[in-house]
Amino acid sequence: MKRSLFGRFWPNATALFLTVGFLFPVYWMFSTALKPAGDIISEDPVWFPLTPTLEHFRTAVSAPHFWRYVGNSVTVTVLAVGMSLVIALLASFAIARMRFKGRRGVIVTFMIAQMAPWEVMVIAIYMIVRDGDMLNSLLPLTFFYMVMVLPFTILTLRGYIAAVPKELEESAMVDGCSRPQAFLRIILPLLAPGLMATSLFGFITAWNEFPLVLILNKQTEAQTLPLWLSGFQTNFGDDWGATMAAASLFALPILILFLFLQRKAVGGLTSGAVKG
Amino acid sequence: MKEAPRPAKEVRRRAYGPYLLLLPALAATAVFLGWPMVTNGLLSLQNLNMGQLIRHATEWNGLDNYGEILGNEEFWRVSLRSLLFTAANVVLIMGIGTLTGLLLARLGPRMRLTLLFGLVLAWAMPVIAATTVYQWLFAQRFGVVNWVLDRLGWHGMADFNWTGGQFSTFFVITVLVVWQSVPFVAINLYAATTTIPKELYEAAALDGAGLWKSFTSVTLPFIRPFLYATTFLEVIWVFKAFAQVFAINEGGPERLTEILPVYAFIEGMGNQHYGMGAAISLLTILILLALTSYYLRIVLRQEEDER
Amino acid sequence: MKRGLIAATAVAGMLVSVAACGSGGSAGADSKSLTVWVMDGSTPPGWTKGVKAAFEKKTGARLNIEIQKWNGIQQKITTALSEENPPDVIEVGNTQTSAYAKTSGLAELDDLKKEIGADWTPSLNKSAVHEGKQYAAPWYAANRVVIYNKKIWAEAGIKDTPKTRTEFFKDLDLIQKKTDAEPLYLPGQNWYFFDGLTIGTKAALVKKQGGKWVSNLADPKVAKAMDIYKQYQSFSKAPKDKDEATPQQGEVFAKGKTGAFIGMGWESGIAIKANPKIEKDIGYFTIPGETAGTPEGVFLGGSNLAVAAGSQKQDLAKKFLKIALSDKYEGQLAQEGGVIPNKESLQSALKGNPAAEAAAPAVAGGGTTPLIPEWGAVENPPNPIKTYMTAVLSGKSPMDAARQVEGEFNKRLGQKQ
Repeated sequence: MKRSLFGRFWPNATALFLTVGFLFPVYWMFSTALKPAGDIISEDPVWFPLTPTLEHFRTAVSAPHFWRYVGNSVTVTVLAVGMSLVIALLASFAIARMRFKGRRGVIVTFMIAQMAPWEVMVIAIYMIVRDGDMLNSLLPLTFFYMVMVLPFTILTLRGYIAAVPKELEESAMVDGCSRPQAFLRIILPLLAPGLMATSLFGFITAWNEFPLVLILNKQTEAQTLPLWLSGFQTNFGDDWGATMAAASLFALPILILFLFLQRKAVGGLTSGAVKG
Repeated sequence: MKEAPRPAKEVRRRAYGPYLLLLPALAATAVFLGWPMVTNGLLSLQNLNMGQLIRHATEWNGLDNYGEILGNEEFWRVSLRSLLFTAANVVLIMGIGTLTGLLLARLGPRMRLTLLFGLVLAWAMPVIAATTVYQWLFAQRFGVVNWVLDRLGWHGMADFNWTGGQFSTFFVITVLVVWQSVPFVAINLYAATTTIPKELYEAAALDGAGLWKSFTSVTLPFIRPFLYATTFLEVIWVFKAFAQVFAINEGGPERLTEILPVYAFIEGMGNQHYGMGAAISLLTILILLALTSYYLRIVLRQEEDER
Repeated sequence: MKRGLIAATAVAGMLVSVAACGSGGSAGADSKSLTVWVMDGSTPPGWTKGVKAAFEKKTGARLNIEIQKWNGIQQKITTALSEENPPDVIEVGNTQTSAYAKTSGLAELDDLKKEIGADWTPSLNKSAVHEGKQYAAPWYAANRVVIYNKKIWAEAGIKDTPKTRTEFFKDLDLIQKKTDAEPLYLPGQNWYFFDGLTIGTKAALVKKQGGKWVSNLADPKVAKAMDIYKQYQSFSKAPKDKDEATPQQGEVFAKGKTGAFIGMGWESGIAIKANPKIEKDIGYFTIPGETAGTPEGVFLGGSNLAVAAGSQKQDLAKKFLKIALSDKYEGQLAQEGGVIPNKESLQSALKGNPAAEAAAPAVAGGGTTPLIPEWGAVENPPNPIKTYMTAVLSGKSPMDAARQVEGEFNKRLGQKQ
């Protein structure tokens, strides 16, 4: 049984090492946020916040308009991701289940759309929105974020749909369902994990977006959290404590969402990315 | 839906159906991506700087921007650097990610959950937050990394300046990018291996296949399409890794770590030469298309087979 | 299909509410209000309150002072000036004013200068003028001083603050030998301190050649300033390729193991925040120059207030400027914010603020970066002058270092406008 011992030890040791490596930056963010200012810049790192303080979190939250930013970020992100899911469902169903002229072209179009360099197209978008008199509104932002995540959503969902056995759908149709009904009753429930996994990506993208909102929405009423987060990095260097506190708060919803959905989401993603 | 289906309508629905379903997605893409792309293309043919933008002035200058960029050896250097950067990172990500995924499959349930927990948290960390933390970890003074290296006996590293040189800056960026991307590959690869029927391994074992043999004969064929698809995604993501590179050292030192999107941003937004920036961004897309053309061709062929 | 319909209506409903929330916030369209953009940290609360009240009383219009973050500010100002409803008044950095003036995005203010600007400090007003015309009003300035740790200086046996550069070096040497503290914290890229040194040696960073601005870093006077910087830097263990913000030099100083650093007066506040106990040990003095009585050259970092050319409320904007720049509020800004006011006669307001008192003597001999519209591009990261500084400090000769960055420097100066 020597071999089995050997075979167990190394995988476990490696896994432990990897876990620490992947977790440490996340831990360091939260722990820095909790340390008093004097412990942050320190000759010997303070590994554990022994005298934790919520001071930095208070600084972060009491920044003016914080809740406005939260509201805007949530609105824009949820709407953008929601709309892209709906639109993508329709499109990916067509791609996965139907044969039609131009299908290949459509697939490649979305693949190429995924390569769009959004950061550097900002000025073109700005000019369009400015000339359409839509600055300082959440509406254009929502639509642009929606399209930012759309290609990935379509291509991934298409894989999930393809993974659902055709026979299920067909037998439902034999039972008298119309095709849309079969889709809603049979396929959609099976797609739940896929929808979650995909929406997480959309969520991260839209939640993080900075360059576009920076110049489209200059009025605080229409700004989002990334602007708030970058506000702690002033011209004269960073308030590390507050920055880390803000980063923690910023990351928190996504971290929670991930932990919550992880189990359901993980299973499906592969079938999503691969089959089609 | 109680009426009997009318054949004529049914046929028409079959013909238009897919297009109707695709309409919203295509329309949205055309309006919110196509239109800015076209505008971007028009801007790339203009002399558009701070003054012109403020005055709403349009100064066409034909292909001057492109001429200037393509004639500038800096552009070619940055392009080459982008390619190397992408290649190195994607190889690392796919290598480490695949191994981690296979490791996940071998672990016991408790250890697997622990590692998954770590992977998922790293994966979910927003880019802005992650880059800030990494700057902080690798800070020359008071950074944890230098402190640890010093304690491990590598005293020369006590005051090492990570962002001082091209190679070490890229090292930090690479650690960050790999750290962020490995979880996606690993978790999905793990999920992929769970779909492999156990019997196949048993059969392989009966045939006397060792670990390596059963990997190449059973696992690999199963995960190959997955590897292709993920590599394609990673190439795109790494190539476009603007936020990470810019946040760590703004393309420095001495512009030596600028990759194409950063180059476009500094020329366009930073120096406020918007026309120039637009031209670089279009060239960037072309390069990315060329990079991924192999995979796109595979996809095209596959889809054709299916029909 | 009912559920689908409900979902669709819900989405549509949400969209409407988003749209409504977007268009409601446009304060600029209201003719009874004036929007002013100021940078984060420029306006102390008492000043803001006073100016707001005075403005609203005098004009009956509302004053919106909107505080802007530094991140991406250039793109924000440029795009804002191109809009139909730009902010009416904006704070513009003194070194960037001429670039914005040249775009015709700023309104001309010659009459305002005649009315209220007769005694604006000439070294400050220079930056608000482009091609002979006034495009902004000087608002405030700030310059660097030496912030030192009295305890460490006492430990080294130093009784008085230095009056000349030679004395200063001697003191730093004493600290080096007699204490275990780092005598001076000076990273290699404190470029505004270096700019001050070039002002001290009367060096020009750029020169005109064939009708174009080009690098003048190879000039011996620049090399001389760099040599002074190198002497200072030899007393520091700080990274040679970082500026004073990474890490915040105030936070390093807060550890109590640094003899002194060169920074803005308010940076001591950062140290105190990180370590309240250090407050009683902090002292300030003017950066000493070659000879006693003439302080070192300093960079006058400062801000001007400009009126957007596209603003529909030019008169209201000028009324605001008259109130904000009046002796009363300019004096209050100096006192409350510890910044150098735009008139020498108001410098008495700095009494009791040791940092500002240490800063004031250097103002008359201070200067800025070259006031040419092309300059803005030079300072965009990665700033070639910072590259030059690091190169020299890492052992390159000033000549070689100048040659190394010349290409990039000239490229930026020659950029299309």
